[in-house]
Amino acid sequence: MTDLASKSGRKTRPRKGGFFGTLCKQWQLAAMSVPMLLYVLLFNYAPMWGWINAFKDYGNRKLVAKGITPFIGLGNFKWLFSRPDFFITVRNTLAMSVINLVFGTVSAILLAILLNEVRNRGFKRTVQTVTYLPHFLSMVIVVAMSQNIFATNGPVNALLTSTGIIKSPVFWLGEGKYFWWLVGVINVWKEVGWGTIIYISAMTSIDPSLYEAAAIDGAGRFHRILHVTLPGIRSTFIILLIMNIGHLMEAGFEIQYLLGNGLVANYSRTIDIFVLEYGTQQMDIGVATAAGMFKSVVAIILLVSANFIAKRLGEDTLV
Amino acid sequence: MRKLLSILLVLAMALAMMPAALADGDLEPIKLTVFRGDPGDQPYEDNKIYKKIEEEFGVTFEFEFLAGDLNETLGLKLSDLEDLPDLFDGGNSAEMLIDAGALINLLDYVNPEDTPNLWAHIEPQKNRIITKDEDTGEDVMYIIPNYGLPDGPQIALSVGGPAFFIQKQVLAWAGYPEIHTLDEYFDLIEKFLEANPTNADGTPYIGFDILCEDWRRFCLINPVQHLMGRPNDGEVLIDINSDDYPTETFINRAYAKPYYKKLNEEFQKGIISADTFVMSYDQYIAQLSSGIVLGMFDQAWDFGDANNALLSDQKYENTYVALGLVYDEDDVEGLLPEGWTIEEHYLNGSLPNLDRGFGISVSCECPERIVAMWERMLDEDWQLLFNWGVEGEDYSIVDGRLTMTAEQYANTQDVEWQRHNKARAFFESSPKRQGWILEGDLAGNCWEVGNQDEIVFGLMNDYDKEFLAAYGYSKFADFVNPPIELAPYGEAWQIDKAPIQKDYNDFLNIQDTELPAVIMADPAEFDAKWDKFVEDINPSCEVYSNFMHEEVLKLVAAYYGE
Repeated sequence: MTDLASKSGRKTRPRKGGFFGTLCKQWQLAAMSVPMLLYVLLFNYAPMWGWINAFKDYGNRKLVAKGITPFIGLGNFKWLFSRPDFFITVRNTLAMSVINLVFGTVSAILLAILLNEVRNRGFKRTVQTVTYLPHFLSMVIVVAMSQNIFATNGPVNALLTSTGIIKSPVFWLGEGKYFWWLVGVINVWKEVGWGTIIYISAMTSIDPSLYEAAAIDGAGRFHRILHVTLPGIRSTFIILLIMNIGHLMEAGFEIQYLLGNGLVANYSRTIDIFVLEYGTQQMDIGVATAAGMFKSVVAIILLVSANFIAKRLGEDTLV
Repeated sequence: MRKLLSILLVLAMALAMMPAALADGDLEPIKLTVFRGDPGDQPYEDNKIYKKIEEEFGVTFEFEFLAGDLNETLGLKLSDLEDLPDLFDGGNSAEMLIDAGALINLLDYVNPEDTPNLWAHIEPQKNRIITKDEDTGEDVMYIIPNYGLPDGPQIALSVGGPAFFIQKQVLAWAGYPEIHTLDEYFDLIEKFLEANPTNADGTPYIGFDILCEDWRRFCLINPVQHLMGRPNDGEVLIDINSDDYPTETFINRAYAKPYYKKLNEEFQKGIISADTFVMSYDQYIAQLSSGIVLGMFDQAWDFGDANNALLSDQKYENTYVALGLVYDEDDVEGLLPEGWTIEEHYLNGSLPNLDRGFGISVSCECPERIVAMWERMLDEDWQLLFNWGVEGEDYSIVDGRLTMTAEQYANTQDVEWQRHNKARAFFESSPKRQGWILEGDLAGNCWEVGNQDEIVFGLMNDYDKEFLAAYGYSKFADFVNPPIELAPYGEAWQIDKAPIQKDYNDFLNIQDTELPAVIMADPAEFDAKWDKFVEDINPSCEVYSNFMHEEVLKLVAAYYGE
């Protein structure tokens, strides 16, 4: 925004006063952005002061109560990186994020295309409503339902055994190798309808004459999807992708926390759960902050590189 | 000069106003904010006991109950020491409150002169309750135990703590056998399951449940010490016959293996279902309440809700008996620590529930009023009001005995009724009398309804009466040995693990992830998986054992007043 403003400023008033001249000239605009600026400073930048805790020792509760929290340099980070279980949480976070991202995006685009092709408005509306309603369900409820559905004597196993696909029930909830995929599937069920909204709106903005032209040129329905619809939502897709890559280190926390159990702990613990365990349950704020900081740094690197790649590919970028 | 004068003036005014403020203080109505570290129900506005408290003490309460994770909630509350609940019960993590300096030292108000009732109440156990501050060396008491300070000889009518439980119908079906070992226990369950795979509705029975959700993992971990013949010391085995109190974690020892081997066998036979390891506490309670679980290791208080549900459905045959199982000497031949003999002891001497109950927070403005209220409440009239209710309405006194009708007793079990007529939220965490009434006209009665002969035996259902008669027992505690004397250190599970938090966390995490897998292992892989588990957990066990040994020795020294 500031970029745009200064550019237009330069055009109208090329010489007078430079940056500050422009600022004075456009003080109304600047004033309007002050609340947002304050908001960001207060809630996004000020809390960063808390990062200082990552370099302090909060290990001994009794000392902490007396206000004794000595600086220990990179001690917390060293401890973190010496623990294999921390890297397991990083691996789990990334794995579940990627699965969620791929499953979520593919399913949302697929459903959006299908809905876009439906001509009966009533049917389209109904499907849209039904698929996005689960978005509003609490994760607690979704997990409780899933626990029953995927139990060894639950409907999924009953269906699979009765149709002869598997011989004996699968222990879905107790085997680590299924956990990531289970999370992916449950997330798709919960979020697919919500995810389509933005793609459907992108599709409605595609110029109908493109479809007509394609039809005249002899393109069938499938070809129109391939050559008109998909390129039409390409920039939306790229922007969403960049935003989601910035969130890759946030695989979610509720579902893993609720659906996880001892047997699958090595696949279900995410960085957020690790931070929660150390930060609020054990009150070791130092270690928790260090883990959170590590997460943020990786997220920034991911975001910047995704943005860079998109720029190279000549796409719209975020920054 | 003018400054000095004005300061003096202010001081004089303050002094002049103080007596007035103090005199009024006792009458002034106050509202106390109360936090309870466990879930509970809000009392109704018209609650008669709270009304009486308001009338006599001018005190009303605003309760907040735990919703969500305890440590997380406490962590958030402790972030602002200026704004804490007045009465603060930290539940199972009260040590966090103490360490954070959130509670006042009650010894500033509790002493033999000002509070004779309270002092006499804690006096017999004061070496356990009053500790020394590590830095200043001064005597401190932050919390008066909410339970475990009974008057008179110990009452043990039933097993209130850990045991192997089994449905009464299983024992009845087998002709009321005596069950003392693991093999006998699981054999019986297997035979019953073979003869009765489903209940009357056609729902399959579950042979044995193992709850291992979060802190309730004790159902999976703790049995070994009991099989070795010790009451509940948490996660360590202590040799109380040696002056040095050797202390070790038992989960990684050779003598733990036979138990998990047995569970592995039962799992392979389908007596234990795989779902048990992914079960939430709610699912567990639901299963127990439906009467399809034949047996489990647990603590009686942990499945109280399920028990109540079974009773209210009159499924008496599905309720549980506590059995005191121990290892058969043959099972653990050559595996025992030197000089160890196995004798069943599930029941322990009365244990003050240290660091559990209300503390008064540093932000409370009227600690002396709360202490004075507790002092007065230990009198007979208030204790009867809390325990038994209002005379004539909730209970009656016949020939010097406290009694209730069946209907009155049923009321006390009804949660909705309690919200109108009981002060549970306040009373449960406050200092209270338990055991026998020792003085006055009512001497020989019990303080608690649930211990009074007229209630326990007078109102017992017919199924239980016949069941006990078949065994020739007078009470359900007869299934296990009578309580042994409490060890000088108390019970080791009470020791706070905060100083070795990270190692302790490893200890727990490794159990959570690996032990269920050991039980579910293919029999051919069992030994390998067990060895891997022991190898992984050994380092944290070492730290934990050493730490606990030191703490136990400290407690023993404190108990003997050294």
